[in-house]
Amino acid sequence: MTLSIDIQSVHKHFGRKVAVHDLSLSIPPGELFAFLGPNGAGKTTTIKMICGLLHPQRGTIDVCGHRMGINGLAGKAKLAYVPDQPFLYDKLTGREFLLFVGEMYRVPTAEQKRIIDELGERLVMGDFLDKLTESYSHGMKQKVVLSAALMHDPEVLIIDEPMVGLDPRTVRVVKDLFRERVNQGRTVFMSTHTLGVAEAVADRIGILNHGRLVCLGTMSELRKQAAAQHSLEDIFLELTHPELQSDDGPGPETVPNGGTLSEGGSHVVES
Amino acid sequence: MSSSPDMSAAIMRSPIGVIALMRVKLQALRNRVSQAISDSPIKFLATVGLLGVVWVGLYLLFVAVFMFLKQSRMEAAIAIPMVFSFFFVAMLVMLTVSNAIIAYTSLFAVEEAMYLLSAPVPPRAYVWLKYVETLIFSSWSLVLLGLPLMFAMAEANPEAVGYYYVFFISFFICFVPIPGAAGLVLAWAIARFLDRNVRRRLIITAVLVLAVVVVWTIQSVTAQEAASEQWLTGFLLRISFVQSALLPSSWVVRGVEAAIESQTHLALCYLGVTVANAMFLSVLAVRLVSWKFMSAFDRALSSRGGERSTAASPAVGLAGKVFFYLPHGQRLIAAKDLRTFFRDPIQWTQLVVLFGLMTLYLVNVPKLSGAKPLEGWGMVIPFLNFGALSFILATFTSRFVFPLVSLEGQQLWLIGMLPLSSWQILVSKFAFAMTVSTFVAFSTTVLAVIMLKMPIAWAVLQVTVTVATCFGLCGFAVGIGARLPMFEQRNAARIANGFGGTVNLVASVMLVLTMLTGMGAVGFHNRMRGFDEALDAPTLMIAAAMIVLALGGGLTAMVVGARHLRRAEI
Repeated sequence: MTLSIDIQSVHKHFGRKVAVHDLSLSIPPGELFAFLGPNGAGKTTTIKMICGLLHPQRGTIDVCGHRMGINGLAGKAKLAYVPDQPFLYDKLTGREFLLFVGEMYRVPTAEQKRIIDELGERLVMGDFLDKLTESYSHGMKQKVVLSAALMHDPEVLIIDEPMVGLDPRTVRVVKDLFRERVNQGRTVFMSTHTLGVAEAVADRIGILNHGRLVCLGTMSELRKQAAAQHSLEDIFLELTHPELQSDDGPGPETVPNGGTLSEGGSHVVES
Repeated sequence: MSSSPDMSAAIMRSPIGVIALMRVKLQALRNRVSQAISDSPIKFLATVGLLGVVWVGLYLLFVAVFMFLKQSRMEAAIAIPMVFSFFFVAMLVMLTVSNAIIAYTSLFAVEEAMYLLSAPVPPRAYVWLKYVETLIFSSWSLVLLGLPLMFAMAEANPEAVGYYYVFFISFFICFVPIPGAAGLVLAWAIARFLDRNVRRRLIITAVLVLAVVVVWTIQSVTAQEAASEQWLTGFLLRISFVQSALLPSSWVVRGVEAAIESQTHLALCYLGVTVANAMFLSVLAVRLVSWKFMSAFDRALSSRGGERSTAASPAVGLAGKVFFYLPHGQRLIAAKDLRTFFRDPIQWTQLVVLFGLMTLYLVNVPKLSGAKPLEGWGMVIPFLNFGALSFILATFTSRFVFPLVSLEGQQLWLIGMLPLSSWQILVSKFAFAMTVSTFVAFSTTVLAVIMLKMPIAWAVLQVTVTVATCFGLCGFAVGIGARLPMFEQRNAARIANGFGGTVNLVASVMLVLTMLTGMGAVGFHNRMRGFDEALDAPTLMIAAAMIVLALGGGLTAMVVGARHLRRAEI
């Protein structure tokens, strides 16, 4: 089986600061993966490397079997990336933007219109889709960029803070959309600080701290390992405690290659 | 929803090209124009009208210069080609630098880059898009300055026939990509090979080199005490390199000259050379940059994400002390703005470059004029100095001071929550703006009056009027910035280009023109009455009126702005 995302021993540093340290992570098709970590843990750097925007100094990243790197066009065709700050052209309407994205991904014209209508109805965008995006609120922008990411039905959807700015009804719609995609064999890779969302929808959760993957597994595995802790919040706080490790220190043992149990109590094995 | 299984294959076979990317940009431009016309037609017409006024003004100025030069045929024979050569060499250098700056920011420093490059957009298509955008953004000044220059040239040369216009427009269009390609490669090389610290050192080195050049120029100019004709001959010899046959600017100049003289074949030959070089260099630059673009992009992003020392430099430390005269709360706000200014190279490098060039001009001007202070040309020089300085100040206040209040709108704590009145906040902003602009304007004007050996009374008059103009411009920028803010906008450039920014720009230009009229009146009056080192009553009255106007205008704008800010719902 070709993995959706296959990260092998990836290392990235900015000057003397190590952003990602020897990270290995394998995500199969049909999984909703939640990527957690405190600010500055290296989540966004990892995401940018998966998208081919940054290049690791060591290690490899494959998306649907395509090596991401200088010529990562084949991998990029398979994925969609929604950054935490949604990007839209101010002087285009939402519909014009979606049509542009459809053209970029070579979606047939008739299909583009059908998808826009379908998503417009589902995410309740009818009122504003034909207005210039400069007048949109954060939530409206988030809906449009999410729709743009779904235009070409990507194998892998990478999304940074998906629920920020969305109203509760849309949050529910987005959760359902993610679940539908996963059921269709697509992969959703979600970075978030909203632990409740991760707990509710993720198949597996990975926690990054100081550039190291300190925890990886399903919610029940996490609970099993951290016996005294019952919520993801408790587990997260324990694993990312500021005194636990520093940039210079050796830190806790990391989860190797997303599969082997590490010793240390709180680290969790992949199922 | 279903996906086509051939979609990825179709993308790989035929990824999106630059034409499709350009199409979406044109769509955005169409939307922008129709929005401008439908939302605020008066503003749109005012902007177009103002551009027309500037264009016609430049045209009349150039016609006057060419006619003046033609009065003396010998000087005209030397000077007019030299004016052209200088113009295009200056354009070559300025366009290379401005293309490099714009290319760097549009290639590496925008969310759009992140978005498009995470999609299957080939780097080459992206680089072509940004190259064309950069050419358009950086070259509108050439059109604004160049077209009236060339029309004026035709006006001054009645022998120029109809197709001359076809030639010079072709030369303009074909010339622009040459510095554009150089700027693109420069921007890429900076991102690819220089990290943040090296870039910082490079900027400091450039400033030091500029200072050395200024000192050298002062020495070389002051060493020559010969008569003005000898000096002019020597000067022209020293700058004859601007007519080197290897410079692209020379091809344009010679081609245009040939077109004026109806030497069609020669003009076509030079046009061919320019076109061939423009196309070759464009393709070469885009191919080179796109070949290693993603690694340069990686370095640019990595450099931004790295550890960044914000240890207080002496300049930043100074920011806490210069506003000693303000109450505590206001002092903190003004110091914050000054620290931001020191840490934003776009702001201070622009001032350094503009005033560096101004200084170069000032130290050369007394020798060029060859006249005693306040006699003949000597009367015009302070007038020109004041005009150039005021327009530079107006540019600075419109671009960097005007957006200050709007930008604070996102930090509601400052405008909405801080226990300071709107007037106190505006005074803090004003203190910052006045400190920076007065520092450069005062020092430049003092240098000017020293170089021109102006009598003390005249020197005081010049400095006082300059400082008053600073006051008026800063007051306008802060006051109108508070009266017509754009709190929802985060981009300072867009705030400056918005409606309020346009109003402020027009008001600032009007103030500068009024002050220039006053200075012109002073000069004219003193030429009529005969020159005197002392200032007479009419001179003092005109000066007093100018000062009152500038101070009153600035204060009024501040009061209006503060009143509006007090009532505003943010």
